[in-house]
Amino acid sequence: QAPIVIKMQTSWNDANIWQDFARDYATRVEEMSGGRLKVDVLPAGAVVAAFQVLDAVNDGLIDAAHSVPVYWYGKNKAASLFGTGPVFGGSATTMLSWFYEGGGQELYNELTQDIMGLDVVGYMGFPMFAQPFGWFKEEVNTVDDLQGFKYRTVGLAADLMAKLGMSVAQLPGGEIVPAMERGVIDAFEFNNPSSDKDFGAQDVAKNYYLSSYHQASESFEFLFSKMFFEDLDSDLQAILKYGVEAVSTANTAKAMNRYSADLQFLQNEAGVSVKRTSKEILDAQLKAWDELIPELESDPFMKKTLDSQREWVDRVAYYELMNSPDYGLAYEHYFPGKIKL
Amino acid sequence: MTDPQIALMMLGLFIVFVFLGFPIAFTLMAMGIGFGYYAYFDARRMWRSFDRLEETAGPWEQWSTWIDGFFNNRIFDLFVNQTFTVMSNEVLTAVPLFLFMGYIVERSNIVDRLFTTLNIASKNIPGSMGVAALITCALFATATGIVGAVVTLMGLLALPAMLKARYDPSFAAGIICAGGTLGILIPPSIMLIVYAAATNVSIVRLYAAALLPGLTLVGLYLIYIIGRSLLQPSSAPRPTADEVPDMPMGKLLLMIATSFLPLAFLIFAVLGSILFGLATPTEAASIGALGGIFLAFIYRAMTWQRMRESVYLTVRTTAMVCWLFVGSYTFSAVFSYLGGEHVISEFVQSLNLSPIMFLILAQLIIFLLGWPLEWSEIIIIFVPIFLPLLAVFEIDPLFFGILVALNLQTSFLTPPMAMSAYYLKGIAPPELRLTQIFAGVMPFLFCVILSMVLMYVFPQIVFYLPEVFYGG
Amino acid sequence: MISFIRFADNLSAWFGKAFAWLILLMSIGTGYEVFVRYVLNNPTAWALDVSFIMYGTLFMMGGAYTLSRGGHVRGDFLYRLFQPRTQGMIDLVLYIIFFFPGVTALILAGWKYAARSWSYGEVSVNSPAGVPIYQFKAVIVAAGILLFIQGIAQVCRCLIAIRSNYWLEAEEDVFETEDLMMREANKAEKGHLT
Ligand code: NA
Ligand code: NA
Repeated sequence: QAPIVIKMQTSWNDANIWQDFARDYATRVEEMSGGRLKVDVLPAGAVVAAFQVLDAVNDGLIDAAHSVPVYWYGKNKAASLFGTGPVFGGSATTMLSWFYEGGGQELYNELTQDIMGLDVVGYMGFPMFAQPFGWFKEEVNTVDDLQGFKYRTVGLAADLMAKLGMSVAQLPGGEIVPAMERGVIDAFEFNNPSSDKDFGAQDVAKNYYLSSYHQASESFEFLFSKMFFEDLDSDLQAILKYGVEAVSTANTAKAMNRYSADLQFLQNEAGVSVKRTSKEILDAQLKAWDELIPELESDPFMKKTLDSQREWVDRVAYYELMNSPDYGLAYEHYFPGKIKL
Repeated sequence: MTDPQIALMMLGLFIVFVFLGFPIAFTLMAMGIGFGYYAYFDARRMWRSFDRLEETAGPWEQWSTWIDGFFNNRIFDLFVNQTFTVMSNEVLTAVPLFLFMGYIVERSNIVDRLFTTLNIASKNIPGSMGVAALITCALFATATGIVGAVVTLMGLLALPAMLKARYDPSFAAGIICAGGTLGILIPPSIMLIVYAAATNVSIVRLYAAALLPGLTLVGLYLIYIIGRSLLQPSSAPRPTADEVPDMPMGKLLLMIATSFLPLAFLIFAVLGSILFGLATPTEAASIGALGGIFLAFIYRAMTWQRMRESVYLTVRTTAMVCWLFVGSYTFSAVFSYLGGEHVISEFVQSLNLSPIMFLILAQLIIFLLGWPLEWSEIIIIFVPIFLPLLAVFEIDPLFFGILVALNLQTSFLTPPMAMSAYYLKGIAPPELRLTQIFAGVMPFLFCVILSMVLMYVFPQIVFYLPEVFYGG
Repeated sequence: MISFIRFADNLSAWFGKAFAWLILLMSIGTGYEVFVRYVLNNPTAWALDVSFIMYGTLFMMGGAYTLSRGGHVRGDFLYRLFQPRTQGMIDLVLYIIFFFPGVTALILAGWKYAARSWSYGEVSVNSPAGVPIYQFKAVIVAAGILLFIQGIAQVCRCLIAIRSNYWLEAEEDVFETEDLMMREANKAEKGHLT
C-alpha cells in the first residue's frame, strides 16, 4: 500500500532553521503511522508564496502548511491575537496552554471556520521564546534614543513600535540586510539568534537587544485542508493532531540547543554586544499596548478573545510566577558574574 | 509514466509549442493549466458533491453536478493564486517606471545633440565617429533601456553620418547594433530586474555587480573600434572639416554641458541613489521618470502627444513582460509540483560535470536559446530551471546572472531572431544588406564572449562593487 | 463580425489606456514618498502597498489592450514565414485550447478568490497602514473579462484570416519608435520608386 503523501508547504526558505523544525514533524508523523503517511515538506515559494499559504490550504493547493497566524493578519486582525497579541504576563507556553486548555482553540476555530468561512483545521505548536527587541547600530537605552528610527517588524508589533515613536518600515524578510546596508532602515527585529544569524544580521548591526513585549507569546501554526484531513482514517487524523504536540517538545529542545549556541557565536565570535532591553523601553512598550488594546477591543470578536486571554493569564500566570523559584539566583550561584539582568 | 517524467514531457511540449508562434504568455499558461489539471486531478475531491447527491435528485441536477465536478480542479485556484503573486511582486514594480523613463527620454530629442557633441569632442581619436556613435549608444541605451529605439534612432542619425564619411558600411552597422544592445546590460536595466524577480537575487547587488562588466564590455568594443581604425584606416577614415566642423573650446564645452551632462546626471542620480542606499530601485525609477519629463521640458520636446505615447507604450510593454511572468509562475509551480526540478537536477548530477563544464554548458544552452528567442522568455522561463543546479555546483546566482546578462547581448545579434540587425535593416538605406550587418556584428559577438571569459578568470570584476557597497 | 472586432478593440484600448495613466500617478506617488522621507524625515506607511497595487492593476488591465495590438511576444521565427491563412488556422485552434481555459479560470476562480477576500475586507500585511487589497484582487476578474471579450475578437480575426488570407489589424494608436521609423523608411522607399 503506497503511503498517503501530504504536501506541506512552509513559510520559510530552505536555509531557515524552522525548515528543520517542520521536517521534525514529518519524521514523527511518518514513523508513528508506520509509513502510511508521508509528509513532503516544501519551502516557501515551491507551490505558492510564503504569505499565500492560508489561501492555498483553503483551496487545497497544498494539503498542509507550517506557518504563523500573523502572516494572514491582513485578512482579519484577530489572527495576531493567536501569538503576537498583547502580553499580559504569560509566556508563549502560557498562551499555548490557553489554546489547548483555556478556550483558545474554540475561538481560533470560530475565527477561521465560522467568521471567515475557511475550509481549514489548525493546531498550534512550539511555544517560541520571546522575540528580541532586535538589532541596532548604536546603543539604545531610553525611549528618546529610539525617536525617528526606521525599524522593521511585522503584524501588531508594527502598530506597537509606531507608538514608541519609530517609523516602521515594512520590508520582506529577504530585504532586511540589504536595506540596513543601504540605510533605508536603521534597526530591525526578526525572530531568534539562529534565524537572525543565518541571514547575516551581525554584518550590519552590532547591538542586539534581548527581551521585549512585542512578540513574546508566538507559536507555529499547523494548517490542514479540512476536506483532506476529514477524509483520513481516524487514527491517521490522530497522528497528525498529536504529532503537533510531539514535535512541540522536539522543537523546543532543538531551539534551546541551537538558539543558545548561536547566541554564544554572535557574542564571542561575531563581536556582537548582547544586552537586555532597558526597563524604560519595556515600560513604554506596555504603555503602548495599553493604547492599542482599546482600539483592538472595538471589534467584538477581538474583545471576546482578549477577555478570555486576560482571564487565563490572571489565574495561570499568578500560579506560574508565585510558584517559580528565582532561577536567576541559582544560575548566579553556580555561574557567578556571567549574567546581568 | 511517473510524475517527474510527465514534468519533462511538459517542458518538451512547451518548447515545441513555442514554435507554433502563439503568444508565449498564453502558451505557458495553457501548459501549466493542462498539466496542472493532471497533477491536481483527484476524482474523489472533484466529484464529491456528485457522489453525495440525494437519491431523489433529478437527471438535470445529476448532470449539472457531474459537469461542475469536471471544473472543480484545484489548478484553477493555483493559477489565480500565482497571478496574484505576480501582481504583488515588489521587485517588478520598478519595471513600468523604468520603461516610462525610457520612453520619455527616448522622445526628448536628446540623442542627436549627444551624438553631434561627442562627434566633435572625439574628433582627434582614430575611428572618432565610431567611438562617438558607440558612446552615444551606450549612454542613451543606459538611460532608456529600449534596444529597438536606440538602434533605429542611431541608425537614422549616426549611420548616414558614418556612411557619408566613407566608413565601411558593415563596420558602421556593427557598431550601432552592438552599442544599441548595451541598454539591457548596463544598470538600471530592466533585464536585471526581471532576473532578480525570477531568481530572488537582490536587485541592488545585481546592479552593483553589472556595472564593471558593462563598462568592461564597452571598453572591449572601444578597443576593437579604435584598433580596427588604426590597422585598417580605410574602414574608418578621418572625417573632413565639413563633415565634422571645428569648434572653439568654449562652445564645445557649452554643448557638452547642455547635452552630455544632463543625461549623465540623470543616470547618475538614478543609479547612485540605488547603489548608495538612498532609494529602492522602484523609488529611483520614479525619480528617473520625473527627471526625464523635466529634461524633455527643458529641451522643449515634451508635448501632450509624446506624453500619451509614452504612457500607452509603457502599459503595453509592462503587460507583455508581466503576463509572461503570470504564465511562467503557473508553469513552474506545476513543474515543481510534479517533481520536474528534482529529476533535471538528478540527471545533471549523474553527468558528473565539473562546475566549469556545467557553467560552459549552461551558457552554451542560453546562447543557443538566444538564436530563436528573446531575453525576456529566456530569463523568465529557462533561467529558473538552471537555478537549483547552481547550488549543486556552488555557483553564485549573482555571478551566473551577470554571465547571463552578458550572454543575452548576443540574443539580439544572432539570427534567426536578430532584432537589433532587423531594426537597423528596417531603417537603413536599401543598399545595406542584412549579410553585411551580420558580418559587422560578428567581431562584437567575439568581444561578448571574451568579456565572459574575463569574468570567469577575474570574478572580482563582478564581485568587487557589491562587496564595497554591501559587504561580503 | 468586423463590427464586433472593432468594438472589442475599442473596449480593450479604452480600459488599457485609462489604467495606463496609473504610471504617472505611480511616478508622482513614489516621488512624493522619497521627498517626505528625506526632506521631512517622515516616511509614509502606505507607499510600498500603493505602488504595487498600481503596478499590478496597470499590467493586468493592459493585458487585453496589448493582445488587441499584437503586443504579446511570440516565438514567431517560423510563424512569420506562413501565409495569414495558415497563421489564422494555427491561432484559431490555439485560442480555443490554450487561451480560453485559462482566461475563463481567471474569471470564475478569480471571482471565488476575490469574493473571499472581499468578504473579510482584506488589507495588506506589509504595513500598519492597513491598505485595502480586496479591490485589487477583484482586478483579476476584470482583467479576465476584458481578455475573454478580446479573445472572441481574436477568434473572429482568425476566421477572417482563414477566409480571406488577410489579417484585420487593430487601428494603431501609438507606435514604438523603431516601428514608426521603419514604417516611415518603407513609405519613403515606396515613394522613391513611384
Ligand atoms: Na518577529
Ligand atoms: Na537571436
